[in-house]
Amino acid sequence: MKEMQKFGYPIFFAVMAALPHLLDSRWQAVAITFLIFAVVALSQDIILGKCGMFNMGQALFFGMGAYTTAILNNEFGWSIIATIPLAILIPAIFGALLAGPIVHLRGDYLLVVTIGFNIVFVQVLQNNLGGVTGGPNGIFGLDSLSFLGFNLTSQVAVYYFAFIVLLLTLWLMRNLAGSKAGRAMHYVREDQLAAESIGINPRIYKIFAFSIGAGIAGLAGTVFATQYSAVSPEAFEFIQSVLFFSIVLVGGSSVPGVLLGVFVMFVLPEIFREFATWRYFVFGFAMIAAMILRPRGIVPATFGKIPKFLIKGGSHVE
Amino acid sequence: MSNNQLILTDVTKRFGGLTAVDALSFKVESGQIYGIIGPNGAGKTTVFNCITGIYKSEEGSVNWRGEEIRGMTPYQIVDRGIVRTFQTIRLFGQMSVAENIMSGRHIRSSQKLWHGIIHTPGSKRDELENWHKVEEQLDFFNLSEFAATPVGSLPYGIQRRVEMARAMAVEPTLLILDEPAAGLNDKETLVLLETIFKIRDKGVTVLLIEHDMDMVMEVTDYLTVINFGKKIAEGTPTEIQKNPAVIEAYLGSEDDDDE
Amino acid sequence: MDIFLQQLANGLTIGSMFALVALGYTMVYGVMRLINFAHGDMVAASAFVGLTIYTEVLGQAVSLGAVIVIFLLSAMVMAGVGLVLERLAYRPLREAPRLSAVVSALGASLVIQNGIMLIWGPRMRIFPELVPQVYWDFGGVVISLIQVLILAISLVLMVGLYLFVEKTRIGAAIRASSIDQDAARLMGINVNSIIALIFIIGSSLGAVGGLFIGLYYRGITFNMGWQYGLYAFIAAILGGIGNIPGAMLGGMLLGLFKAFIEGYVSSTWADAFTFILLILILIVRPTGILGERVAEKV
Repeated sequence: MKEMQKFGYPIFFAVMAALPHLLDSRWQAVAITFLIFAVVALSQDIILGKCGMFNMGQALFFGMGAYTTAILNNEFGWSIIATIPLAILIPAIFGALLAGPIVHLRGDYLLVVTIGFNIVFVQVLQNNLGGVTGGPNGIFGLDSLSFLGFNLTSQVAVYYFAFIVLLLTLWLMRNLAGSKAGRAMHYVREDQLAAESIGINPRIYKIFAFSIGAGIAGLAGTVFATQYSAVSPEAFEFIQSVLFFSIVLVGGSSVPGVLLGVFVMFVLPEIFREFATWRYFVFGFAMIAAMILRPRGIVPATFGKIPKFLIKGGSHVE
Repeated sequence: MSNNQLILTDVTKRFGGLTAVDALSFKVESGQIYGIIGPNGAGKTTVFNCITGIYKSEEGSVNWRGEEIRGMTPYQIVDRGIVRTFQTIRLFGQMSVAENIMSGRHIRSSQKLWHGIIHTPGSKRDELENWHKVEEQLDFFNLSEFAATPVGSLPYGIQRRVEMARAMAVEPTLLILDEPAAGLNDKETLVLLETIFKIRDKGVTVLLIEHDMDMVMEVTDYLTVINFGKKIAEGTPTEIQKNPAVIEAYLGSEDDDDE
Repeated sequence: MDIFLQQLANGLTIGSMFALVALGYTMVYGVMRLINFAHGDMVAASAFVGLTIYTEVLGQAVSLGAVIVIFLLSAMVMAGVGLVLERLAYRPLREAPRLSAVVSALGASLVIQNGIMLIWGPRMRIFPELVPQVYWDFGGVVISLIQVLILAISLVLMVGLYLFVEKTRIGAAIRASSIDQDAARLMGINVNSIIALIFIIGSSLGAVGGLFIGLYYRGITFNMGWQYGLYAFIAAILGGIGNIPGAMLGGMLLGLFKAFIEGYVSSTWADAFTFILLILILIVRPTGILGERVAEKV
């Protein structure tokens, strides 16, 4: 397992870096979608997998970032790159605000409330609130990426944009794992009463998890808007949230698990295009089977990543 | 500050029609090893829950170091130096021993929320310091060989040590132990005894609930005896052993068992 | 005043349908602590099943007898599906972490929803006109025979279920299983049978609800289940999850709320308002109007 960790990531990064030059246009688009959804799924993992909150509304934050970029670019002429900070901040702030009144709720209720938030969001978009969201058709005709005066219109450029965002996300998650806040989320998830009794304020960390997850999803939203030069409400319906939710649980709360989940959910259907109508039908069975066979996910979370000086001879290391 | 006193005055806790703790008062002095004993169901764990903020007593006062802590949340109370262990052991089962103990360093860590996103040299130093503190606890409790082992897979006796190590990692002023000897064999109980004395030597006050009478007589300086939520006696272990009301309470319940 | 009375009538109708569907959710959640995400899709499926019974089995006959046959057969079919669902997707996960059962329920929902699509196609189908189009006009307020029938039959069914659960021994067994499955088992209650019974009852009531949806709205699509299911689950929460009279009350109230929003504000905002209502209720009174009947494991 450790060898896999040592070689797995570099190989993965090398392959992903070289990929766009090996694929045709259609498959490049698929690869970009993979990258974007991987980022959203990882952001969902922070909230659901690491902090244990039943969030089924992640598409809301994804959409918020996408629409922030779209509106700032379309209405106010900001360049795509310039919209990034707000596309992260606005969902992050909303994440914290929305989480505040609801994080104490029992799991199932939290779940339904997050679905509710998602539905309200989409309805707001469709009703063209403030006249800027473009209604059911959304907003299109967005600018392409431009950086330091260079107009980066190619799909390969978008791919590398998405790739950089994924790398950034993985780096952030690694930082989180090796920090007080990151560990606190795990403790709160495993046993909230024990965590409280050892001095942890669960509320702060739950809201924080929501906020980071929202911000990262928002960033993915910017990439999404760039890929299609457009945004529309359907892309952020709560069924998408259901998919992200399922990916984290079926794949498992680990980076390989989540990536595997995204691959199975979004890339495989492209490979089996002819079976498109059977796609979700088969998935449904696969989800049931996966939970019966591996309730913790295909590649579950692992613990025990502690500094080497603590590991004396004879200890059991996975 | 040697005013590390825990003073309970007339603490009363009711659940619907049942009065679990009835106008209980006692005082724990700094540096004592104080015991709460009593027959099963006497309300002992409920008292601890009232002290540590899991319950809020309906009446009375819980005064720690001159401050009223009744009504505070559990984590606020930990922040003030009181840490507890649980009768049923509540560890973070999937995580390793070291990670469990590290949770005890949470409130001692100086990291801010945003260090979860980006590390700074300061936060990295904080991480390292805290892991070294974990190392100290691992050594103190003889757990070094299990540092990376998932806690849920370890034997009961070792889990108990991990829970205490986690509590000690907080560097508490008052350590509350809820039946620390439950489920331990004789050898483990002896080790526990020595550990409690070593903890007291470090300057920590200890408050414990226990059923194992031999252990209680050995380790405690002073006792309060509770039955049906009420205090029926207090005194040194020798005094308590001879106290007729205490003997009645324990013998009385033994008779019930025989019926 | 006209709008008020009209929406009152509409609300009671919609509310009855919500109530019937909500009962399925609340009964399953009460005993198994599980949101049966597939329930909404089963409700949708029953409408399609009814459609097929009408066209294939009855040769498109329209009569009181035909209607009764459609309702009974659909209910039986859906009860059967419910049993299979429980056996395959939920029973193997009784001991597993809660989230696993949630994912399994979502998977089941996808299976049923897409199953409908594969069998009956992705486009909207028209449910047969089984009830004569009779209307009464009360000075601008229009009430149809269908609305009266839906309300009447729903009330009969709800009262029947209420009496069953509150006054019979089996009903007591159901209530006991809601409070504490293990204790119920120790008392000699066959909890597996109770769970099977709950799925039969819930699915049948849901089937009736689905047929009503078909009769009332006429247009049915394979993915209408989620929308309805979500509303019905909200109704169950409103009334107090696990609480059977609560689900009935919650359903009626939610139906009225939705109708009034549609009448006085706009139908495009109905969903948003409903969810804002839900969120407020959960924050202010999470146990619902009549209180939960679900034991908390402390």
